[in-house]
Amino acid sequence: MELTIRGLRTRLGGRWVVDGIDATPPAGRLTGLLGPNGAGKTTLLRLVAGLLDPEEGAVLVSAGPDAPAPTVTVHGLPRTARARRIALLEQESSSSVPLSVSEVVALGRIPYRTRWGTDPDGNHAAAVLRSLGSAGAAHLADRTWSTLSGGERQRVLIARALAQEPELLLLDEPTNHLDISAQLHLLTFVRDLGITTVAALHDLNLAAAFCEHVLVLREGRLAAAGHPRDVLTAQLLREVYGVEADVLVHPHTGRPVIAFQEHDEPGGHAPRTGST
Amino acid sequence: MERRGFRPPLPLVLPVLAVVLVATVVVAVTTGPADIAAADVLRAIGRHLGLSTAGVPRLTDAIVWDLRLPRVLTAAAVGAGLALGGAVMQSLTRNPLADPYLLGLSSGASLGAVAVLVVGIGLLLPVAAFAGALLALGATLTLARTGGVLSPGRAVLAGLAISQLCAAGTSFVIFWTATGDSYREILSWLMGSLAGTTWQSVAIAGGALTLVGAVLLAQGGKLDAFAFGDTAAAALGIDVEHLRWGLMTLVALLTGALVAVSGAIGFVGLILPHAVSVVTGPAHRRLLPVVALVGAVFLVWADTAARTVFDPRELPVGIVTALIGVPVFAFLLRRGRGAAWS
Repeated sequence: MELTIRGLRTRLGGRWVVDGIDATPPAGRLTGLLGPNGAGKTTLLRLVAGLLDPEEGAVLVSAGPDAPAPTVTVHGLPRTARARRIALLEQESSSSVPLSVSEVVALGRIPYRTRWGTDPDGNHAAAVLRSLGSAGAAHLADRTWSTLSGGERQRVLIARALAQEPELLLLDEPTNHLDISAQLHLLTFVRDLGITTVAALHDLNLAAAFCEHVLVLREGRLAAAGHPRDVLTAQLLREVYGVEADVLVHPHTGRPVIAFQEHDEPGGHAPRTGST
Repeated sequence: MERRGFRPPLPLVLPVLAVVLVATVVVAVTTGPADIAAADVLRAIGRHLGLSTAGVPRLTDAIVWDLRLPRVLTAAAVGAGLALGGAVMQSLTRNPLADPYLLGLSSGASLGAVAVLVVGIGLLLPVAAFAGALLALGATLTLARTGGVLSPGRAVLAGLAISQLCAAGTSFVIFWTATGDSYREILSWLMGSLAGTTWQSVAIAGGALTLVGAVLLAQGGKLDAFAFGDTAAAALGIDVEHLRWGLMTLVALLTGALVAVSGAIGFVGLILPHAVSVVTGPAHRRLLPVVALVGAVFLVWADTAARTVFDPRELPVGIVTALIGVPVFAFLLRRGRGAAWS
């Protein structure tokens, strides 16, 4: 799905958390949303998902598969129609309800239920199985959610999102708390889905390796956007994160590999200005 | 892997429970000071429904049709409504201790009922109890809404405050005005009792259960979406605020009607959802219909015990549900199912 973010601004608690963002993440590809803590990544994802109303600006998506140009505002879509097209995975997804894995994935079919809660085409069970299968979680179907490991939980939540049959997938730090193998597995899977995906990521090297496009936020504004090769430079890392790094070139992929330097102030996190 | 136990399929459970409920109703009607055969019960009911012309002794017919059947049917409707309302409330507030009376409903109803009992206009009791429940609900929501967003946590706290206020009002009325026999009548009502129910009670409780229960069962599937929090529910296309307050108001209306006919019967709405979810799992499309049927069967038996065990004296059914409910609660607590209990 084509997605255009146009002049988006909104305040939370009096502060402009998202402050005039224009962006066009490439359709069918993985876009990384980068930036330090508090830069506005989560708020931007919620705005794009239609869960928060912007004070200014709009999020435009295509009207349907036949009309790819982004002409419809997300906030103008009826809730159910929106949930059939856009899936959001929150940063912290926890539940104390002892649901089974297939019940968790079946939540993704809620937007397809009728007004009275029934399954109109009788294909929900098949859709749940299909989503579990493509997320590599079929073997977990009968487990209880609370017994899963972090990596297994993310697979199940991805399956829940896929059960919504989304055209736009929004992921808020999906690799948090995962071991490296699970992180690589998840990002490979998401990249190869062919669904327009925007993922907030903390690990710049993972973003550099997997994303087709990155949006770098700083204090609610877009500091840079483009292919990681063009965007992730030593100068940008200094300006946005206040860290010194050498940006190398990956010997096989040609993508950037970031080697960070130590902070010279012991224990200090103050951003350094200028080069040494 | 956590032991999930056996989860019987819904298309099997519901018909079985429905048969159990019908059998329960028939057996409960045969039980009492005057022994009546099940065949006579069926014949009397059949005659009144125009299905049978078989003769039944007039006294038997009066006991079945005018005394026991309305009481048993009211018990079934109240039990189903309380269990259903409790399950919905626990999900809406994400609070395992929630019950249908959470928002000050039972205390408000008690105050209304006690006020008219003392004045001595018994005929108005259901009306006064219902009005009291609604006033208390209104006060709770107003208090919860002042100076901030209406969150479930605030609603629970406001409900607690209003409950205390109404309880104080009730105590005041009793202390100041009640004399002699009205004490017993008031106490019995406060503890929850189905004594003196009539076909009017069946109509009130059954009508409210049918109307509200249908909506709760239909919309209940959406409650699953709250398992991962409000944002996740909204991302699944659910109008979180609208659904939460709509369902809470419906449960309040249902509870108001139930309290009006039976007083506040404790533990049914608190315990049964937990006990039933051990077997059905927490998904509401399975839990809600089963808990309603189990609630109906449970309260019919509890009330039958309340009116027969100490014959000729009758206990308020609320004492029986507490006697059963507390040990069950202790058992579930020891079993420590899921993080909700930790």
